[in-house]
Amino acid sequence: MLTLVIGGAASGKSEYAESLVLDAGPGPRYYLATMEPMDGECRARIEKHRRMRAAKGFTTVERYTDLEGLTLPERGTVLLEDLGNLAANELYSPAGAGPEKALEAILRGIASLRAQCRALVVVSNEIFAGGRDYAPGTEGYLKLMADAHRALAAGADRVCEVVCGLPYDYKGANL
Amino acid sequence: MMLITGPLWSGKREFACRVLGCTREELSARAVWDAQELAAGCQDLEALADRLAAHDAVLMTEVGGGVVPADPVQRASREAAGRLACLLAARADCVVRVFCGLPLVLKGECAL
Repeated sequence: MLTLVIGGAASGKSEYAESLVLDAGPGPRYYLATMEPMDGECRARIEKHRRMRAAKGFTTVERYTDLEGLTLPERGTVLLEDLGNLAANELYSPAGAGPEKALEAILRGIASLRAQCRALVVVSNEIFAGGRDYAPGTEGYLKLMADAHRALAAGADRVCEVVCGLPYDYKGANL
Repeated sequence: MMLITGPLWSGKREFACRVLGCTREELSARAVWDAQELAAGCQDLEALADRLAAHDAVLMTEVGGGVVPADPVQRASREAAGRLACLLAARADCVVRVFCGLPLVLKGECAL
């Protein structure tokens, strides 16, 4: 079971994605954190998300690149947060797959995770309606994210966009 | 006319080919895409919308999200794009938003 949860900044997508994992029932819950803490702003954001997950029974697994190389201890539910950071890491980090292989690394990694758990919820970012007039290099990132979104959506059981904390389904059980 | 809108690289042309039953090569005879670029600098958006409405499908990339650009030309361009989208939607039999390759019907009935 793969659910893709997409939303803009502070749309409530994280809280909604967490609620999906909580509704998935008992069993291990893994929070797969992809944001590499680079500075104080990152650390503050991580701390905010840690507090939100506290007492909800999540085990945090930090993984910034190469999801395919990750083995989960037990079969449970996984919340991957988020695709935007994973894509940036695969694209730009020295440990990442680089521009040529980033898409493949992301898709193979998510397929591998999906095979290891009962339910996988992937949180991602809506970044495609603000034009394309960005600094050079950003277009490659946008393209990678768009390609990953379409490929994941095609194979997902459910795809929803979260607006003001409310999910809107493009595909899935609630349609 | 079917208006197909959606964010950047969301799969609009692929969807248009599927719904019109044509190839990418044949699409240019049936549809116009990147219509948001035609809006920029256009003096008469109503007339442009009337002309575009003669196609089977018009595709537009949504550009009105994010921060309002500081540059006046960019600001005017995205204003015009949004306005054109509304004019086209009013003329369209069917309006579909494509998001991550998945269609959502906003107006009318379309055989997806």
